Parts: sequence; structure tokens; C-alpha cells
Amino acid sequence: MNDYSYTEEKGLTMADRIEGVKKLFTSKSARVETNKGDAYYEKLFQTCQARIEELKTQTPINNRLDISDVLETQGVNRRDFMKWASAVTGMLMLPASFTPLVADAALLMNRAPVIWLELSDCAGNSEALLRSDGPKIDEIVLDIISLEFHETLQAASGHQAEKQLEDAMETFKDKYLLFVEGAVPLGMDGQFGTIGASGETFHEHLLRVSKHAAAVVAVGSCATFGGIPAAAPNPTGAVGVMDVVKGKPLINIPACPANPANMVGVILHYILTGQVPELDSLLRPKFAFGYRIHDNCERRAHFDAGEYVEEWGDEGAKNNFCLYKMGCKGPMTFNNCSIVRYNEGVNWPIGVGRGCIGCSEPDFWDKYAYERPMADAKIKAPTGGVEKTVDEFGLGLLTAAGIGIGIHAVASAVAGKKEDGGEA
Amino acid sequence: MKAGHKQVKRMTGAMRAIHWTNVFSMIVAVATGLYIAHPYYQTFMADGAVDKYVMAWNRWGHLMVAIIFDVTSVLIAYLFFFSRFEKSYKKVIPNAKNMKEFGAVVVNLVTLNRKKEFDSTHADSFNSVYFLIFHLLLGWMLFTGLQMYVQGLGSGQSSIGTWWPTMLHMVTDWTIPVSAWMVGGGPTATLMDVRIVHHITMWLIITWVAFHIYYQVWRTIFWKEGDIAIVVGGSKFVKTDK
Repeated sequence: MNDYSYTEEKGLTMADRIEGVKKLFTSKSARVETNKGDAYYEKLFQTCQARIEELKTQTPINNRLDISDVLETQGVNRRDFMKWASAVTGMLMLPASFTPLVADAALLMNRAPVIWLELSDCAGNSEALLRSDGPKIDEIVLDIISLEFHETLQAASGHQAEKQLEDAMETFKDKYLLFVEGAVPLGMDGQFGTIGASGETFHEHLLRVSKHAAAVVAVGSCATFGGIPAAAPNPTGAVGVMDVVKGKPLINIPACPANPANMVGVILHYILTGQVPELDSLLRPKFAFGYRIHDNCERRAHFDAGEYVEEWGDEGAKNNFCLYKMGCKGPMTFNNCSIVRYNEGVNWPIGVGRGCIGCSEPDFWDKYAYERPMADAKIKAPTGGVEKTVDEFGLGLLTAAGIGIGIHAVASAVAGKKEDGGEA
Repeated sequence: MKAGHKQVKRMTGAMRAIHWTNVFSMIVAVATGLYIAHPYYQTFMADGAVDKYVMAWNRWGHLMVAIIFDVTSVLIAYLFFFSRFEKSYKKVIPNAKNMKEFGAVVVNLVTLNRKKEFDSTHADSFNSVYFLIFHLLLGWMLFTGLQMYVQGLGSGQSSIGTWWPTMLHMVTDWTIPVSAWMVGGGPTATLMDVRIVHHITMWLIITWVAFHIYYQVWRTIFWKEGDIAIVVGGSKFVKTDK
């Protein structure tokens, strides 16, 4: 798999590593508390209400689009919008009484200044927002956030763009949400990725901009865990945002691409409560990553029945059988896409007849996306030699032991005969 | 009994019962585990799903024998220290006496029984260490297995209460970073590492069994003391003129 050379480049000391392991040992489980009791929700409701009232008195920042107008233009009526608001309330695991507050918060999205950085990646998360066929409410809501700076989307370039970033960072100091898309290459002193006229490395860029952010949101698998840039042999020494940004509230929204529904969820939660949502040990919001895909999969019954697609296009595939033998990683992937799906519930990977590749888990490209069952996964033998499947390696081990036993047995038999001969 | 021999008791009834329970559990665990890792036989296309609960039954069998393994492991861990018959831990402490005996047994094996400079009447250090390795492997399988099991209890609920998944997280979450360390990869440990390590450990255990069976048969043939009978009748025979 990947080599460990980047750990030195990253300046990770032994103490850091021990701290990391400690954190994992003592981390809270993925357990999701879906009902925290009436007293808790009443208090939260009042806090949120006060916050919403306060936000209403503020003027919108730069984005003067009014969501009611935009929704109308896109042909979304009030009823559809309220249906969406109640679905989001459910997704955030709040009682139904919060629905009007969530709707209000969505209308106030342009009060949240957002700076969006684009690092080592394919811009797929931005694409996921932009290229949807006919924007759905999730995408519309993201349209009206006050996006102060977005390297991929903005018209400005060069010094002009840098000036824009400086202005945004100064104006909204300690208030802006920093969204980061893409991994951080650390190899060769970060020279694998530079940005702007000054040739600032991605690493320096990220540290500078994150310094005065209210919170950092890593969007997509590259920004969260290094993703595809960090896949073996990781030539650029890419790591995720959480490996370099320390001492800031950090939220990971992995998946390839991250689901716009979950981005909206996190921003809404922030606007509503002023806090980051409850996170699991990998800093992913529990409302989105607290459940296993497998447990909410529409093909789960076929898994239990032992009905599998054996090859693409066979009878099983035509009958929507389970994709486990085609390498589906739903059983070890935590994500809500089997529930909320993509593009406003239109479809999701397993729904279109291909397995899950575990895109919301760390190291997904090397350890999940090989489209075979785990037993056939290629692993590196301990000597670092040729890659073998797990079973080939195991069978090799058994064969070696068998040969050893065989040699000993034959030698014993021959020696035993000699001994007998001597005695006779 | 052959003249000039005496019978020596080596395994109590409880020990033998645990041994054969483990044999049964292991065969079932390997057969079902291989199916879970990669379903190697197919169900009949024409049968309705209601009639063929194949993966579910395999998982049921796997989890059931895992629980039996859990219980025998607790018993063995207890007997290891507190058995009134034979406290095995005394044989694995690396003191001079045990290390000398361990070496002598290895010499006996590699010289094909030309040299036999230890007392084969009692349990020896070599086998005690070898059995300990087995139980450590088994313990590792239990912790990694329960870690994979608790992944399915994401809601924090179970049929016996919320304490069960909570406890499983507390006692098995450490296997995630440890497995990731074994498999290698990026800076963040993954759940897949636990699966890969669980699967490879199965092969280590099968390899362990291969040598175990070979060695007990070899002892029986070369020592001529009926060692293979220990696990059936509980005793072996040694020459009295020794």
C-alpha cells in the first residue's frame, strides 16, 4: 500500500502518532443518539430561535440573491420547499417542530460567509453542485450562500484573485466558514502544488487561510483523508486537511463526490445552532455517517439470501441481486447515500447496479475500490514483494508450512528406517 | 497395558471437551468465514429468497461458533492460571528451566528423535508455548471479529440493550489502529484493515493446526508413548524403566 515516507515530511513526531492512536482508543463510537429527550430539544429550540432572530436583523453579505425569488424562478413552490425543509430536519435528527426553524435558516444562508479552497483534486465536489440536471433545492440553497472566494468558479485570476481573498479574509476575520476541496501534497516541500502569482504551496495556502476561519469543512475524500492523490504509491505525499490543520473546529464530509445534501446539512446546522454537528471518531457528522450503507440498502435481502450478481449483465444483475461478489463495500462503509441518495433522491451507486466502492472511508482507493470481495483484495506480502490476494498469501503460508512438514516427515521416516536397520 | 509401561493422566475431561469443541467450532468458523469473505457456492436461481437464507445462515453459524469460542477462551484463560490439574502458565514463563526444556524439545524434533533429553511424561514447555500462541491468535480473532460485528450495530441498540454495543466499542476499537499498523497504508486507520487482518489470521490458524496435527502424530510414532490418545482418553503411556 502507501509508503510511510510522508510522515517524516509532514514532521509527524512519535508523540503526534501516539496522540493519534490514543484518540482512536478513546474515541466515541459511531453511536447515534436519535432522541436526546424533550428538555434538551426545548432548550435547543430556544437557542436556535434566538440565533435566527439575530441573523434576521443582519443584512445579507455580498450575495443579494433572495432565495424565495430563486426558488420561484426554478419552479419550486412553497410546498416543495417546506417538504424539503422537513426532510432536512429529519436528516439532521431534529424533531419535526424544528422544521420552520430549518426553513428560516435556509432563507438566511446568505448570512454565512464561505471561502472555498481548491487543492489537489479533480474539482468533482464543485462539479457535483454545478452539473446537476436542473438544480434541486440542495443546490439552490448552496447557490445563495455568501461564497466570497471560490478558486474554480470566480472570474478573477492572478493578483486580482489574491486581492479578493485578502479582502474576504480581512472582512470576515474569524467568522467565515472555510470549505476545502482536495488533498494537501506535502512531498518535495509541497512543491507538487502551488497557487497564485507568488507560488505559495497548497500547504502554506491552506494554513494561511484556515488561521482565521470560524471552522474548517473538508469536502470530499481527497480533503478528508487524502483520497485518490494519497493512493499508493502516493507520489506527492498527499494527506487530508485534518492531518495538517490543527486547533480549529474541523468537519469532514467525505465521499467522492461529497453529497450536496450533507454540505447543506452542515451549513444549516451551523447557521441554526452556531455549532458544528456531533462528529464521529473520523470527524464526520454523525447525522450523515452514523449508519452503514449495508443496513439501509434496498438489496440487503438478496445479500442475506445468498443471491449475488456473478458477472456484469447476468440474470442476477437483471434481477437486482446483491453486488457483494462484484466487490460492493456497503458492509464496511458508513454513509447516508443509501437513504438520501444523490441528486435529490434520484439514485445512488447500488441503485444503478454497481457496487459501493467505500468512497467515504479512509484509503478507499487502495482498500475498498478494487471491485472484488475483500478475500481477493491485493495486499503486499510482509516482505514488500509482489502483491497477492489475501487468500493467495494465506495459501502460500499454508503451502510453506506443508512443505516444511513434508520434509520433516520424510526425513523422520528415512531416519527411523536407518535406526531400525541398525537395531536389527 | 503393555508390560513395562505406566499410564499417565494428561488431560482432564473438561480439557478434552474444550479441545473437541474448539475443533468443531474451528471447522464451522473456517467454512462459514470463507463463504462470508467470498461466497464460494451459489444458490439456485429459481428458488425464492424466502427459501434460501444462505448468507444469513452462514453468518449465523459463524457468529454462533464465535460465541462458543468466546466461552471456551474464557474457560481456558481461567484454567491457564487456576487449573487444579496443571497450571499451564508455569510452563511458559521464560525461566532457565523452561527455556532449557523448550530447547531440548526443539532439538528432539530437528534431530528426528535421535536426541531426547527431557521428560516426556509431563506437558513440556514447547507445546505449552505453542498452545499459548494458538490462544493469542484466537483472542485476536475474537476482538477483530467483534469489532466487525459491532459495525452492524450503528444505532447503538441491540436485542440485549445498549450496554452491549457500548462495551464492544470499548473493548474492540483498539483493533482498528493496530490492524491498520499491520496492513500499512495512509495516516488514517480503516475498517477494511480489520477485515484483512481477520482473514489473514485465519490462514495463520490453519497453518498452526497443520503443524499441530503433524507434530502430535509424529510424537506418537517416534516416542512410542501413545501421545495421540491423550486427547481422546486423557492419558498416555510411558516406559517405567526410564
